[in-house]
Amino acid sequence: MMNSMWGPTSLSIITLLLYIAAEGFSIAHLRRNKPSYGKATYGLLLLAFVIHWFALYLGAKAVRAVPYHDLPASMSFFAWVVILSYGILVLRHREGTTGPFVIPIALLFLGASLMANQGGQMVIKSPKISGPLFATHVTTALIGYAALSLSFVLAQLYLIQNKQIRSRKLGVLFSRLPALDVLSRLHRTAVIIGVSALTVASVLGLIWAKINWGTFWDIKVLFTFLIIAIYLFTLFPRWLGWGGKKIAMLSVTGFMAILFSYTIVNLFISHGHSFR
Amino acid sequence: MSVLADSPLVLVGWDYRQTPVELRERLAFSPDKVREALAALRQEGLLSEGVILSTCNRSEVYGLTGSGLEGRDPIYALTEFLSRFHGVPHEDIESAGYRFRGTDAVRHLLRVAAGLESLALGEDQIIGQVREAFRLASGAGATRAVLHRLFQKALETGKRVRSETGLSSRPISIPGVAIELAQKIFEDLAPRKFLILGAGETSSIFYDLLLARGARNIEVVNRTLARSEELCRRGGKAYPWEELAARLPHADVVISATSATTHVLSKETAQKALAERRGQPLFFLDLGIPRNVEPSVGELEDAFLYAVDDLQEIAERNRQERHNEIGPAMAILEEEIDKFFSWFGALAVTPTLTALRQKFETIREAEFDQRLNQLTHIPEGDREKIRLMAQSMVRCLLRNPTDAIKDEPDPGRRLDRAEVARHLFGLDVRGE
Repeated sequence: MMNSMWGPTSLSIITLLLYIAAEGFSIAHLRRNKPSYGKATYGLLLLAFVIHWFALYLGAKAVRAVPYHDLPASMSFFAWVVILSYGILVLRHREGTTGPFVIPIALLFLGASLMANQGGQMVIKSPKISGPLFATHVTTALIGYAALSLSFVLAQLYLIQNKQIRSRKLGVLFSRLPALDVLSRLHRTAVIIGVSALTVASVLGLIWAKINWGTFWDIKVLFTFLIIAIYLFTLFPRWLGWGGKKIAMLSVTGFMAILFSYTIVNLFISHGHSFR
Repeated sequence: MSVLADSPLVLVGWDYRQTPVELRERLAFSPDKVREALAALRQEGLLSEGVILSTCNRSEVYGLTGSGLEGRDPIYALTEFLSRFHGVPHEDIESAGYRFRGTDAVRHLLRVAAGLESLALGEDQIIGQVREAFRLASGAGATRAVLHRLFQKALETGKRVRSETGLSSRPISIPGVAIELAQKIFEDLAPRKFLILGAGETSSIFYDLLLARGARNIEVVNRTLARSEELCRRGGKAYPWEELAARLPHADVVISATSATTHVLSKETAQKALAERRGQPLFFLDLGIPRNVEPSVGELEDAFLYAVDDLQEIAERNRQERHNEIGPAMAILEEEIDKFFSWFGALAVTPTLTALRQKFETIREAEFDQRLNQLTHIPEGDREKIRLMAQSMVRCLLRNPTDAIKDEPDPGRRLDRAEVARHLFGLDVRGE
């Protein structure tokens, strides 16, 4: 299955190319508000999303487990969830101008996944990690991270728009990006989804760890709670007396903590989350 | 395009560029006068279809030439009619304005609808005025296939240019820039709280603008309470000047337009208000000359300060940006003109009659000849006779519709009939 023409790797490459094309159209749509560019972006994204899902499904079927038990597979699934979150954001808030900034995250992770998986065969090393509890733990964790990645993009856009208004440099981005209060609202939605999913993932992870390791303790747990705490603060700006800029910067800090947790902690510190 | 010098599409017009306001006033049409003129133009056979666009900046008559011209130049006949209609000497009308035919007339209408001919480049009001002119003419029964199609095309193109280019996207007036900025901080201005400092002319302009935008919470603070109360008679609350510091934390947007010679809003006052707002942004629009708000207020976090000079600079930049969009707008226009003329060309009598004949012949060949070939028991000589009979039948069937289209003296009606034939017999190949 893995080496056939329509195997997960080939489908992932097709998906990657479709994401690249969608990114091109979304940039063109941002520059020139041409409805056909917008339609092309959404059409390509939808197609890529479905093919990507199929690639993940085939990967999962091949190893009879959720497709994120190793780092490449988890990165591919993460990219898929990022696009899913973007879709939810577009449908919920009718706000698609963030596309050119969100799609690259999916591109980056899918590209990295393909590079890390060159010629590799996915193998399940432990039957413990194919159970439903583990699957739900990882799924919710990745959904949480994807939503928080989206919140990172929105926080960056807030800072850009804020800077443009202050510096009186009112270019194309100024007119095409949403208002500051809209960006705040979108950011809040993404953080609420992210924090909720991450909390559920942590609780499930703790239960799984107790059953399988006999202990709750893992350095990753500490980092996850730190991340949740940082993002919780962004949900109460009035209590902190902080404006949108400070909240956006706090959100960026939260994302840096996620990156640290996803890379350094996963790869070098936590044995339980190392994909080894 | 082939539809040029002898095109039945004509336009005569006078606008702010070539025509002094005194003459434009005399050539203007009220809605009743539009109906009256269109009826007379059609009655005299000068136009078979017509639309009159009359705004404060232009008077234009678009038409499809009629059957009563009797060899006269349609444009001369039109200006001569308008001279009689408005009681303006013909030489005055002749010496001003512009006249176009065919592609040039269509291009001019599309330019007008796109805002390329407007005094304020890319302004939006004109598209509504074109729509209204078309509605008025349609209501008076003065439009049929061609002008209906042309004006629909103009309205579509106007919308397309506005959505696909930056010709109308950025405001070029000071109030427009101010509103755009406010809307980039608070998307929906209606539920926001506005505090206006001063009750003079500028305050009054912004008060009206905010009401028009649906603002429900407007407060006015002025040194003379009676004047702020006068301004608030259509809504909002008036407060004495002493209440300024107390009202400030409740406002989302502060518009300051007092005639004070010193700053009326200090950094300290703004800082206190922002502290009370707990991180909620506050937008200051300082329209006073000299400035009313201490410039260092703009350094405060969550405060956005724009002075009148900033707004003027942005308006000027936007004006320049609109000029840069003329090229892309014209590319859209040319594309749409081509589409219109591919339809208009197909509508012309000869292509319609050719298409009609081809359609009937195709049906005859497909339905009749093929079936005849299956009837092998009929001798070859008889089969040829039957074939000739079928051909003759097709010619008979086509004679009446062909004559009805070809022999119609009124060009507009002729095109109308061609359009009906294309529609009834499914001959549409419009390239759209």
